[in-house]
Amino acid sequence: MSQHIVIDPVTRIEGHAKISIFMDDAGNVSDAEFHVVEFRGFEKFCEGRPYSEMPGITPRICGICPVSHLLASAKAGDAIMAVSIPPAADKLRRLMNLGQIIQSHALSFFHLSAPDFLLGWDTPQAKRNVFGLIAANTDLARAGIRLRQFGQEIIAVLGGQKIHPAWAVPGGVRSPLTEAGRTRIRAWLPEAYATTKIAFDLFKKTMDTHKKEIQIFGNFPSLFMGLVEPDGTWEHHGGKIRFTDSSGSIIADQLDPQKYYEYIGESVQSSSYLKSPYYTPLGFPDGMYRVGPLARLNVAEQMGTPKADAELKKFKKLGRGRSAVTSSFLYHYARLIEILACIERVEAAMDDADLLSEELRADAGINSLRGVGVSEAPRGTLFHDYTVDRDGLLRKVNLIVATGQNNLAMNQTVAQIARYYVKGNKIPEPMLNRVEHGIRCYDPCLSCSTHAVGQMPLHVQLIAPDGTVLNEIACG
Amino acid sequence: MTPVLPKSPSGLLVIGYGNTLRRDDGVGPRVADAIAALALPGVHALACPLLTPELADPVSRARVAIFVDAAVDAPLEVQMRKLAPADTSQIMAHAASPATLLALARDVFGHAPEAWLLTIPAEDIGIGEELSAFTRRGVESAMEEIKRLGSGERSPGPPL
Repeated sequence: MSQHIVIDPVTRIEGHAKISIFMDDAGNVSDAEFHVVEFRGFEKFCEGRPYSEMPGITPRICGICPVSHLLASAKAGDAIMAVSIPPAADKLRRLMNLGQIIQSHALSFFHLSAPDFLLGWDTPQAKRNVFGLIAANTDLARAGIRLRQFGQEIIAVLGGQKIHPAWAVPGGVRSPLTEAGRTRIRAWLPEAYATTKIAFDLFKKTMDTHKKEIQIFGNFPSLFMGLVEPDGTWEHHGGKIRFTDSSGSIIADQLDPQKYYEYIGESVQSSSYLKSPYYTPLGFPDGMYRVGPLARLNVAEQMGTPKADAELKKFKKLGRGRSAVTSSFLYHYARLIEILACIERVEAAMDDADLLSEELRADAGINSLRGVGVSEAPRGTLFHDYTVDRDGLLRKVNLIVATGQNNLAMNQTVAQIARYYVKGNKIPEPMLNRVEHGIRCYDPCLSCSTHAVGQMPLHVQLIAPDGTVLNEIACG
Repeated sequence: MTPVLPKSPSGLLVIGYGNTLRRDDGVGPRVADAIAALALPGVHALACPLLTPELADPVSRARVAIFVDAAVDAPLEVQMRKLAPADTSQIMAHAASPATLLALARDVFGHAPEAWLLTIPAEDIGIGEELSAFTRRGVESAMEEIKRLGSGERSPGPPL
């Protein structure tokens, strides 16, 4: 009789989810599903609100990446007004996005993921967390907190507060960088570089000791999607969409992000509030693609800054020949390269006098009844699509977030890890810890993806082909 | 590794946290803003939607920290209770409790200050930005408690 494993809840991710592992009659893992069991419904309850309120409302979706929603929302508003925002406003938005990527990646690497690979998979869950990390390496834990603090400082300097700053608006931003703010940001740079170097050294040792994890933690062919500049340089706020495949070939390039609906479809499963976007030319589920740091580095040809470019070359060598880097365990490495690129870009921006400009806002009425705003959030490409009436009241809202776009890949990651560890009806403890980490590689944010509240505890069920739950375990 | 001790923990740090778009839930940030506006010597105030790990740094630099929060289904009066650092096995993602933050301040930055949790009873946490009249009255008592603590007149309560 086939079986089904459920992991519920999953810990150290943002939100609440469970995992079902389906077994075949021979007792082997046949498939897995990552279910998001929370619902918030932002898309629905925003209907009827003025589009201009959305940069104030949508950041409340998430306490980790509010800036991503703020910026995508403001960009959707720009499109409804059909304006080009002042250059200084665009640069300031970009600076805030860099701060957002730094703080979110620092949290993911140092607090949420490092306890697993530094303390060891078999360390009890009660100790395999940030406090365990503090006990093992206080300096590293402190450095991680302060790197996140640096990213938050950039956001606070620009937006007046670290979380939910209502600073970007349709048409631009509310205020420039001040000289005092520039001095504050500059003062952090040496420490930020030093912490990033520590993290690189640490993770490169981890790659030597975790070869098996690199092989089995989400290592499979897929498409990758991200924004790039026209010459293929890594992009985080503007640019166009590029898809590549696991051979490293570009399969679509310079796609208009505002017309995402021409190449991205959204599948819905009855078992989860998480939608499953796919690349429509390949259909569902063959059009599975990954987004976020790993995908962005696979689609990019260069980072555009010297230190990060040197690291990107090393990263690319991890793919065979010109192939993509396909292991999701290497999301961690990609995150560090992105942190470095962001710090370099922040440093360069500090010499840009435009950031002090007072020319920050374009104004217009409703010139388009539909507007799409796209930006790279830390976890991947974020789309805000608003349809309004002539008064600017929202008639329809569609949000496509990174965690949803990685949903199919997370399912495959769980299945791959489970196939390696599950034999028979038992749910082995080593498998549980590794499955959790397999998901954590993507740094999923369920608050964003289901538009949810709360922590992410993990529930795993082992399920037979006839639907019988043969075993289950809950933790967190 | 030995934690780096702050040079000299000093001053009173007020951290008010809550959601200012959920009426009375936003009372903590409003108290923090009101304290900041008073510019009292040696008193710093931070208004935040939630407690994040990096707040452990400024907390570790304070001599005394007061966390100000709304309290739902709680006693009808403003309460000031002493806080202790949490059991360090507690899991934390992107947000922390005051006790977890104190543990982080102690374990990572080398000092957990004397700390208090000041709770203000909340009546209405529906969508909106205005405080209820009931909670507004609590703000006045809370401000007095903070000023008393800042001036060295402690207002002890039961430890949490």
